[in-house]
Parts: sequence; structure tokens; C-alpha cells
Amino acid sequence: MSVLSNLEFFVVEALRSIRRSGLMSFVAIGIVVISLSIFGMFLLFMANLGNMVAFMGSRLDIVAYVDKDLTTDAAQVLQNSISQISGVDKVVYIPKEEAWKNFREEFGAKLDLREVLDENPLPNSFSIKVTSPDVLPKVAEAVANFAEVSEVRYSGKLIKQIQTMVDAVRIGGLILSILLFFATLLIVVNTIRLTVLARETDIYIMRLVGATKSFIRWPFVIEGVLMGIIGGTCGIMILKFSYEAVLARVRNALPFLPVVSDPNVLTLIYFSVGLSGVLLGMLGGYISVSRVLKEKG
Amino acid sequence: MIELKHVSKLYQNGVEALLDINLHIGKEEFVFIVGPSGAGKTTLMKMLYREETPSSGQVIVDRVNVTELTPDQVPYLRRNIGVVFQDYKLLPRRTVYENVAFALQVTGAPRSQIRRHTMQALELVGMLKRSNSFPEELSGGEKQRVCIARAIVNNPPLLLADEPTGNLDPQTTFEIMELLDKINRRSTTLITATHNKNIVDMMKRRVVQLEAGRVIRDQQLGTYSNS
Repeated sequence: MSVLSNLEFFVVEALRSIRRSGLMSFVAIGIVVISLSIFGMFLLFMANLGNMVAFMGSRLDIVAYVDKDLTTDAAQVLQNSISQISGVDKVVYIPKEEAWKNFREEFGAKLDLREVLDENPLPNSFSIKVTSPDVLPKVAEAVANFAEVSEVRYSGKLIKQIQTMVDAVRIGGLILSILLFFATLLIVVNTIRLTVLARETDIYIMRLVGATKSFIRWPFVIEGVLMGIIGGTCGIMILKFSYEAVLARVRNALPFLPVVSDPNVLTLIYFSVGLSGVLLGMLGGYISVSRVLKEKG
Repeated sequence: MIELKHVSKLYQNGVEALLDINLHIGKEEFVFIVGPSGAGKTTLMKMLYREETPSSGQVIVDRVNVTELTPDQVPYLRRNIGVVFQDYKLLPRRTVYENVAFALQVTGAPRSQIRRHTMQALELVGMLKRSNSFPEELSGGEKQRVCIARAIVNNPPLLLADEPTGNLDPQTTFEIMELLDKINRRSTTLITATHNKNIVDMMKRRVVQLEAGRVIRDQQLGTYSNS
């Protein structure tokens, strides 16, 4: 007996059932929507957090500001000396003019600095990349020992703190998602169980005329899947529109914040949300009818 | 067709529904199971389509040992047995046609076959004209005809009727029994459980009388009571 040839019968039965338990189906779908939205928001949040950490990791370097009156030749000598320090990967000299140009290129379009500043406020500096975040403090200390270096900055500590926080959020979010999944599953199971009970005569007759268990189960599984699809679609729409709204605002207000806007990543997140909805419904439908079938053998 | 060997059924609450039943029913027979309420008629019927399993003994239907079937095999046994109920058990939100077709749909039959067989069954029971009616629009006799159509729609070799006329007036009872007789003559083995004296006396068929879970009489061309 193939599922496909009976698909029409199953879908018609499932729709019949959703319509019959109208309000209850509506409530269950609503809860699926809410749960999936929260799940999706968590995914988006995690993606952004990951993005932020990666962004900061790429800036994982030491900036050494040097005296304003350091000559180009002296800078060259200093650059060589810094390169000799163990743990240093690469040293780039950034004259103040270049630093100013970079700064304006990065932010100039978004902020009009000319109104505030007329001349270059930045000092000459070295950008020092290290081989691993662990050596940051040692290298920074060594660099600070050069007389020409006026100030050393690095963000290693912050990175570590953020990483710890991200891990905590990830675990917390995972636990929350699992709890949410089971809570939603419980509601879907109970909703479909109501329709199972309402259709007890149908099931009795089905068993009597020789329907197999899997045949009896299919309409309920499809009912769950339909609820999952409807709930998932609504959840994705809510996520998509609200995220786009947030994205637009963040871009305006905090232009330097590295937000996730890669369509591939977003599609993957929306797809996961939809898939979770379908799985949730499928499992809900399956479980709800299983007990009735088990009782009767 | 049917063979019961030393079948006993003891329910968990201690009630002995059947006690050492031995019964042979041949192909195309028409058998009445009679006896007062609680004599074990319904339990005996349920054994045949494995709604109940015996506490001891063997039930063989169409050369298949029903007692040894796994749960997965039970649906295929039931496709060979039609069951007619006193309370019809029609699905209220479906039309007459849908109620009958339902029995074929759930076995995964192809659509063209469903249509043809459903029409034939409705024709046989004389309900073709009412195929678009809902059960609530039908009289008791009409409902029973639909129930019979559903039971025979996949041409089972065995038809079980448990008090098929229990809710019907004498005239309708007569018509339903005529219909069952017609189906029996189309080479379907028919077992009817009843405590309606009139129909048993009128039809003059084999009578198996149960009392307190035992067979106390098995008579060809019998009547409801011995006297």
C-alpha cells in the first residue's frame, strides 16, 4: 500500500479534522507560531553573536601608538625590532595620514566628521598581529617597553569574556529551545488527541474494516504536519519582518555594528524554523494517535 | 470455514463469558446464534474477527488460526469479514456513499474500484437512490441497509451480524432478514446473533443456542427454542 496513492484521502481527512476542532487547532497553531518565533529569534541572536565575535577576532591585534615626531626611518627600525618579538605574526606601520583616511572611509559616509574635526587627530601607529590570542599580553608588554611607543592597546580580555558569554548563551539557548520544543509538542499532541477522541468511531470502523495501523495514523500525522507548516510559515514571516525592521534601525543608529544580513545565513535560519515546525507537527500527530492504537492492539 | 476448538473466555473481572465451545461452521452456511443477553453471543462473534482473544482454545477462520495472528496481520483478517451492528455505527458527518466507500478507502483500494464496488453494494441493499443522504436523514431500516452495504462492499466470504434487527420494527426486521438471506445465497457465510424469536422461527436455519457461555443446542433447520 503506497502512501502516495492514498495521499488525497489522508489530506482530506486531516483538513476535515482541523476544521472540526477549529478553536483548539487555532490555539495550537498559535502556540507553534510563538514557540517557533522564539526559537528563530534565538537562532538569529546566536548568528549575530557569532558574527560579532568573528568580527572582533579579526581585529585581534595590538595597536601601538608612537610619538608624533617619529621619522619614517626610525619607524622602519622600530618595525623590524617589533617583528623580532616572539609571537608576532605581522607588523604594519600605519602613518597618521593613512589612519585618518581609513577612518574617514569607514565612517565618513555615515558620520560627517568635518563638522567636528578639521584636522587629523590620530597619531602614527603600528598594527601588530599575533599568532594566537594567548600571547597578546606578553607581546603587548614587550612592545610597550620600546621608548618610542607611547601607548599600547589590545582587546584580548574582552574577546575572552565575550567568548565565555557566548558559550553560556548558547547552552542556555539550547536548553530553552529543548524545553520549548517539548512544551509545544505537548500542546500539539493534546490538540490532536482531542480530534482523535472525537473520531473514535471513525477509528473503530477503520480498524474493523481492516485498515492497518499506519493507515489510521497517517491522517493524524498529516494534520500535525499541516499545523506545523501553517505555524512555521507564520513564524518565519514574523521573524523575517521583525528582523528586517530591526536591521534597518540598527544600520541607521549603530552603523559600525556587524549585523548578520547574509541572505544565505538568514535563509538557513528560516528554513530551520520551518523544518522544526514540520517535525514538531509530525511527531505530535504520531504520538497522539499511538496510544489509542496501542490500547486496542 | 469456521472452527472453534475448546474455546473459553474468562474476563479479567472474573466473568466466564464462554466455556469450552466447540463449533464447526461450513462455507456458505446461515447460522443463528441465539440465547439471552449475557449468554456469550457477542463475545463469540468478537472472537471471530479478533476483537477478543480466547483465554484458551483455538479459533480458526478460513484456515487461518486467528489466535496466533500478530497485531500486524489482524487488518488482513478483517478485510475478509464483514460486521453488521445493532446500532449501525455509521459515521455521522459522511454521506451514505462516503460511509460505504470508507471501508474500501482504508484498505488502500484504487479509486475506480472503490466507486464500482460501492455502487454495487448500495444497489444490492437498495440504497443507491439515497447515496447522497446523511445518516441522520435515514430511517433505522435504511441505516441498517447502509451498514450492511459497508460490511459487504469488499465481498468478504464471511458476514457477522450482531443483533442486526434489535432496533427495528417487525416489518423492517423482515426486510433486513430477507436482505441478509439474499447475501447468504450469494455464497457468503452468515452468522447472525439474535434473541428475536420470530425471525429464527421464520427462517428455519441452523440454530446454535448459548446459555451461560455454553452451547446447549446445535440444530439444523431449528427454531428459537427447543419446545
